[in-house]
Amino acid sequence: MTLTPLDELFLYSGITVLVALLLGRRLPAGWMVTILYGIQLLALMKMAPLGYGGEPISSALTFEVMGQSLSWRFDALSWYFALITLGSALLSSWYACGEWEQRFRQSGGNLWLFHLAMTLNVFSMLILLASGDLLSLFIGWELVSWAGFLLMAMAGGVATKAAMRYITYAMAGAMAIFGGIALVYVSAGSLQYEAILTAASQMSTAHLWMLVILFGAGFGIKMGLMPFHLWQAPAYAETPGPGSAFLGAISSRMGLFAILLVLVKLFGIVNIDSLKIPFTLIDARDLLAWIAVFTIIFPTFTAMKQNDARQLLAWHGIGQGGYMLLGLVVADAMGAAGGLLHVFNHATYQAALFMAVTAVIHRTGTADLNKLGGLVVRMPLTFMVLLVGIIGLAGLPPMNGFVSKWLVYRSLLNEGMPLLFVAAVIGTLGTILSVYKLIHNIFLGQLRVEHDNVKEAPWSMMIPMLILTAIIFITGLLPGIPLAWVASVQQAVGLPVPDYTLGGVESASGSLDMIWVIGVLFAGFGIGALIFYFAGGRSKRVHQLDNYAGGHFLTADVRYQYSDNFYAGLMHLIGGWYRGSFLWLEQSVKSLVEFLSLGMQGLYRRANAEFYLLSTALFVIAWVVI
Amino acid sequence: MNSINKIPVIEEKRTNPLARVFDEFVRFCRSRSLFILHYCTGCGAIELPPAMTSRFDMERLGIQPMVSPRQADILLITGYVSIKTLKRVILTYEQMGSPKYVIGICSCTVNGGMYWQSYATAKKLDEYMPVDLYIAGCMPRPEAVLAGLQKLMDRIHSGEANSWEDYFRNYDYYLGNQQKLFGENWQTPTDIITEAKHYDLIGEGTLGKHTQILEQHQKPLEALDMRLGHDLKEPTE
Repeated sequence: MTLTPLDELFLYSGITVLVALLLGRRLPAGWMVTILYGIQLLALMKMAPLGYGGEPISSALTFEVMGQSLSWRFDALSWYFALITLGSALLSSWYACGEWEQRFRQSGGNLWLFHLAMTLNVFSMLILLASGDLLSLFIGWELVSWAGFLLMAMAGGVATKAAMRYITYAMAGAMAIFGGIALVYVSAGSLQYEAILTAASQMSTAHLWMLVILFGAGFGIKMGLMPFHLWQAPAYAETPGPGSAFLGAISSRMGLFAILLVLVKLFGIVNIDSLKIPFTLIDARDLLAWIAVFTIIFPTFTAMKQNDARQLLAWHGIGQGGYMLLGLVVADAMGAAGGLLHVFNHATYQAALFMAVTAVIHRTGTADLNKLGGLVVRMPLTFMVLLVGIIGLAGLPPMNGFVSKWLVYRSLLNEGMPLLFVAAVIGTLGTILSVYKLIHNIFLGQLRVEHDNVKEAPWSMMIPMLILTAIIFITGLLPGIPLAWVASVQQAVGLPVPDYTLGGVESASGSLDMIWVIGVLFAGFGIGALIFYFAGGRSKRVHQLDNYAGGHFLTADVRYQYSDNFYAGLMHLIGGWYRGSFLWLEQSVKSLVEFLSLGMQGLYRRANAEFYLLSTALFVIAWVVI
Repeated sequence: MNSINKIPVIEEKRTNPLARVFDEFVRFCRSRSLFILHYCTGCGAIELPPAMTSRFDMERLGIQPMVSPRQADILLITGYVSIKTLKRVILTYEQMGSPKYVIGICSCTVNGGMYWQSYATAKKLDEYMPVDLYIAGCMPRPEAVLAGLQKLMDRIHSGEANSWEDYFRNYDYYLGNQQKLFGENWQTPTDIITEAKHYDLIGEGTLGKHTQILEQHQKPLEALDMRLGHDLKEPTE
């Protein structure tokens, strides 16, 4: 038995888990784990041909369980997601293993558990991504769910509560997926992908509907799709800093991966398109598209109201997932490319943003947007990282988020979906407003007296952030680099492939060349700079208290930066629309379950054997008859 | 206003033949793009909305309101100036970037008007800051306001409206009047003497006994420096 490159990757990943488990209590554990992530990334690079249309690589490891063979293999789709997973794990772990780690230990955090949870997350994600049939997919899915729970719950207190909420949702989702798998097995007679592919075209409509609902809900829960989105923001926000950077970057994209694999690749978007909803004009695909759009709008506008920087970012993570799904559901060459590219882009800027916010917490001790301000003069590099990150998040040139969102918008227009387009643009509007709040309340405005001696983040945290910043800009300038991987993913799952170039995409209905876009943009800055410096370049720096506040004399003890109730004017218009309906829904489901369990309790507290026997017999008879 | 005539006029030798054309062009542009910061202290403010809006429409002259002093050209004081307000007016005036112009509207800014006998009102605005133009009346109608603004535009175009230089050249005089009213601890965030040096407008009246009093208690507000902070010393406490 020879080791394939995939086996090597699993081996290294397993070693990383072992190292974290056995040596995690020693001091350089963080560095060791980081180096091992690097080695895993190198092992992944050995499979780099996958990203450019290479043949899938199988693992030598196969099992035979009750007539079902379990196998693992990597194709372009797995490789693309594994690249993002390992990249974000490497940088988050690097970020963690310097000063952050010492502070975390001093403040009573369990560092061993943190590294173990991170390595387990990566290991289980790799197993999920490599799944070669539905059974191994389910095993990987469960592993990812529990590993994620470990990382989310470790901070204790509020975090544990959020993680319990997550695991409740995740288990409900897993049950739905398990039901779906059982249904597939009934109709296809096998859980191998090839068998399902052939069976999918002959399934009855009702059957396919059931499968789409079960799998869609199960995977959608992990992605935080409406209406299953409530767990995500608190769970991610309460995870220790680098952990939330990692989770925010990739964790919920596992849901997207599974949707791509099962709904798009196995069932086929054409089959889903044929599922009409009776008495309406829409079909299952439109339903998915509208769910995606609402997932963009509601969480984004919820993010706008958050007063904790991490909560704000975590809510955006949910909203941006909507763009990915929207692009995939449109499923033309550009839309699918945009949706997939957004996975990569989102991972880069979301990790950078969480890291920047964690750096601010590291230095000031708070992420409360009402207790910060003016930090640009004390943490200028972190400011720059956050600035680049929010430009990416808001989808503005010259950063990479612009490219993927442009592709999604373009495909919506090309395919004649103006309402979805307008809805997506409303989501972007909310994004821009809320990221401005983020950068304004932390970095702009008045520097507080207590932050006068704040220092820039340490280099161990700065370097990973700067690397991410560089990636965000470079993949914005040359989106052809990730688009090549995206194109082979599209090929692997049977979607049309766009005609991509180094600078963007070529299309008869409108091309994009970021090299030109960014060239023109910087030429504009250049002309402005030339005029300014040619005219003498005169500028004057003034003290922040030498400021105009209607003529008042400003003193350091009086706050003149307004951060609370930031969009008061807008909230005056739309504030009444925040009704917390989904919270109400969650609460009522919870009450219903509590009520039912109370009833059941009443039943079995009655220690009456004859009654049980009778009711069971009745139930069995009813089951047989029906 | 008298002090304006005392300013020694220094004729510079311009060797470039296009210099006069260029100067003329700059003055033309300057006079036709004016941003007003209206410091509405009294009843004269009520005459400004009609002057701004569609009936009289001062924007056709290239004049429009501005919200901050840093970007404004004209400081418009529209009525009586109480001593408390005067402090704010001076602060605002000093925050404006040069060249800057001051217009006093209503009789109150000229001589205190009906508040002549009030203990809490500054009578003559031009004792505390150089005023380019007064628009007298109680209150002047929008036509008068517009006529005044046009007069100022002409003066800017012809190069006569340079009273802002007077504040730098005779700072000691203005500071003395301010100290007489507000006490000797009077200080604004702006360091006028450094600015006078920056504009090369140090005159005989810039420094004097009043600026000496100021220097004794002045706490300079240094701009916050942008720093990476890795070499920063820990706070010694």
